[in-house]
Amino acid sequence: MKKTMYILMAALLGILLAACGESSGSEETAGSGETSAEKGGGSGEAALDLSRMRVVIGSTSTGGDTYQNAEAVSRYAEDILNTNMQVDAVGGVQAFDALSSASNDGSTVMFFHDMAYLGVEYGSFDQSNKLENYTIGPMVSTNPGNAFLASADAPYDSMAESAEWLSSNPNEEITVAIQAGGVSEIVFNGYYLWVQEEYGEEVSNRIKAYVTGSQQDKDQALWDDNADIIHGSIGANNQYTKDGVEDQVKMKFLGITAGERVEGFDIPTLAEQGITVGGEEFTFDKEFFFLLPKDVNENVVTALDNAVSQVVENEDYQSDLNNNAYTPNYMPSDEAEEYLLDKRETMRSIIERAPDLNNIAQ
Amino acid sequence: MPMFEVLTPLSVLLCLFGVLIGIIMGSIPGMTATMAIAIFLPATYALDMINSIGLLIGLYVGGISGGMVPAVLLNIPGTPSSLCTTFDGYPMTQNGEGEKALKVGITASIIGGFVSLSILFFFAPVLASFAIDFSAVDKFLIVVFALTVIASISKGSLLGGVFSGVLGVFISLIGRFPDNNQIRLVPPGFEQELVYGFSLLPVLIGLFAIGQNLQESEEGLVAASHQKIDLAKNKAKQFKFRIFKGQFVNTVRSSIIGTFVGMLPGVGGSAASITSYSQAKNFSKNPEKLGKGEPEGMIASESANNGLIGGALVPLLSLGIPGDSTTAILVGAFLLQGIEVGPLFITTNPDLWSGIVFALVIANIAMFIMMFFSIKYFAKIVYIPKHIIFPIIMLMCVVGSYAINNGVMFDVWTLLLFGLVGYIFPKVGIQIAPFLIGFILGTQGEKYFIDSLKGSGGDLTVFFTDGPLAIGLWVVIIVSVVYAVIDNRRTKKAESAS
Repeated sequence: MKKTMYILMAALLGILLAACGESSGSEETAGSGETSAEKGGGSGEAALDLSRMRVVIGSTSTGGDTYQNAEAVSRYAEDILNTNMQVDAVGGVQAFDALSSASNDGSTVMFFHDMAYLGVEYGSFDQSNKLENYTIGPMVSTNPGNAFLASADAPYDSMAESAEWLSSNPNEEITVAIQAGGVSEIVFNGYYLWVQEEYGEEVSNRIKAYVTGSQQDKDQALWDDNADIIHGSIGANNQYTKDGVEDQVKMKFLGITAGERVEGFDIPTLAEQGITVGGEEFTFDKEFFFLLPKDVNENVVTALDNAVSQVVENEDYQSDLNNNAYTPNYMPSDEAEEYLLDKRETMRSIIERAPDLNNIAQ
Repeated sequence: MPMFEVLTPLSVLLCLFGVLIGIIMGSIPGMTATMAIAIFLPATYALDMINSIGLLIGLYVGGISGGMVPAVLLNIPGTPSSLCTTFDGYPMTQNGEGEKALKVGITASIIGGFVSLSILFFFAPVLASFAIDFSAVDKFLIVVFALTVIASISKGSLLGGVFSGVLGVFISLIGRFPDNNQIRLVPPGFEQELVYGFSLLPVLIGLFAIGQNLQESEEGLVAASHQKIDLAKNKAKQFKFRIFKGQFVNTVRSSIIGTFVGMLPGVGGSAASITSYSQAKNFSKNPEKLGKGEPEGMIASESANNGLIGGALVPLLSLGIPGDSTTAILVGAFLLQGIEVGPLFITTNPDLWSGIVFALVIANIAMFIMMFFSIKYFAKIVYIPKHIIFPIIMLMCVVGSYAINNGVMFDVWTLLLFGLVGYIFPKVGIQIAPFLIGFILGTQGEKYFIDSLKGSGGDLTVFFTDGPLAIGLWVVIIVSVVYAVIDNRRTKKAESAS
């Protein structure tokens, strides 16, 4: 009996440790050797001398667009890099924390989107996490589906019409459900500033924010009549806009924030609707990129650049992204750095002029 | 649609494998069904959807069910939804009825599983619409209703129990307030670590496992009395299906409560078993016996936490809204395969819908067979000497805590801190279970309280004027509290008389 018990315990511990290794991908097991290009099995300059690369992402969800984009690029890049890439959904603060203390061999990298710098600008992340304190890696993909939605029976069909409606109905208010401190707040700010510039403060003062959390919370706010418009995305909300959906939950798109329309969807962009901020068309593409430790070995950056450039050419990868209306959007590290710093400047100027959420939140 | 036209032999095998791994992981303190699914999620990409579903449903059912094993045998809830299982399961083990308690739990689990499956199969679309009609006010009141269990389970002192619960709520609010990203209640220097507050799992297993480990270590290496009981000679302590005679109403009511609460997005599985346990105590003919080793309490908790599986799948498959954290990961599995889960899922994916239902049938039956016939071996865990089992538990807890958020070391410190708290609290009269219930439900209560006020423009009367559902919930809350107070007085009188 005792023997059986010991065997059982040993088996349990084995499974436990295997499971832990699977889910955590600790740095200790990530290999400590120097990175080297030109290692067998991989693809030329893209190979790394690492047994495992931990990809921490700025979201705790494994159902969101960050995880899907990270998982897809990792699945295709690991063969090219000749390593195992493990995506860990640890959340923004923990991901920055992991990256700050990571070694320079590329065993821990971060994958995130524009929230990485918007969070710092809005105060969700500490200033120590500003882009300058990390090495910006390659840009990988875009979720062009950032959108605004309303109930199917709303008296307007676009964001521009919603402002027109508000202007014609001086006793009405429009409440927009957003999440504070990220992509959803910046696109709300863009809309708010446009209404302010176009229709004056009398109208913009009647736009309120319903600040809440996840996409599910925003959807529920719409169904509860606590919000008139919600921030959402094609991927998450298209299901509620189809024919056959019950009136109780049916939604309609009022516009997407991307620069161009998304193929297969008849949804106008905000720019098409004439929405501008400071005289410039207001567009916002949610873009996904790698962040690496500040002092990361140059070989890692080169290898990652090469790997991502090969992945985005892979038709299977493209097809996987298209399944969820994402698009490949490769930009090598040096270009991505310049591009993101410029984009941050533009967004910073919007944030500086935007109203304080504390003053307009319900 | 015939089962084997939908399910492939591989999907059935993967389902069985999932149940086995789920049971094992659920049995390990700190490992949960959510974690089991998250670990296997990347592997599903290599499988087609129907095979993935077999595996994931198996892991889900196995993981939830496995949580009862350490709850009963070691007084450590394997998963948060097994918390109420410890209330009667562990006293049964101390009474030499560990195997019996587990078999009661397993039988209640399969009944709960099938009740919720039937509700899912026959009423999913209708109930999903009903579930989203629940406003923030209604959800807040359900959380308050679940909190009233604190009054029922307070041992010795009602006031002490309420204090412990409020303390739990207070600790749960530490961290960032998501609406304005302000950090609150965080000691200086811990802003980075406590930005998301304390994680539930390390707190849970710290309070129970580590706290108890320290407590028993203090008593030395003496074998506990229940470790000396010889089960073979004591037929009264063996399981018989007769135990369920007279428990029909309790089993069905608890299964329905589990399904219903599981159906409400964001309310969660822990609230399901807590609410159900509370009701079992309120309606029991012998409420004073619950918490002291009554199969009735085991039945309430276990049928409810397996009931929540079907419940959580109702809004997921009918509306694309995950009912709990585990189904949120299932959404990821669907998306990885390019399948949109939403209001048209059932009509546009009839094969997949049937596959999910059949996988749930197989997983529940497999769970029952695997656990019922092997549990006598699991039950022997209680005979392992303390000097062997304690270090193993400690190791499992540390590893589980480290892995729960994908490798955050602060979670291990949380485990150890709350282990110390779990050791000290009982010594100063603060009760662990009410504290934990407050901690589990605190953030949910706050969220729905704030959401209610946002929706009403800050008008507090909304909690009484939201509609007939809110009035109904107030009535059951008041009845539950009044009943608990009367019960508490009755128990005190009986104690002083004896």
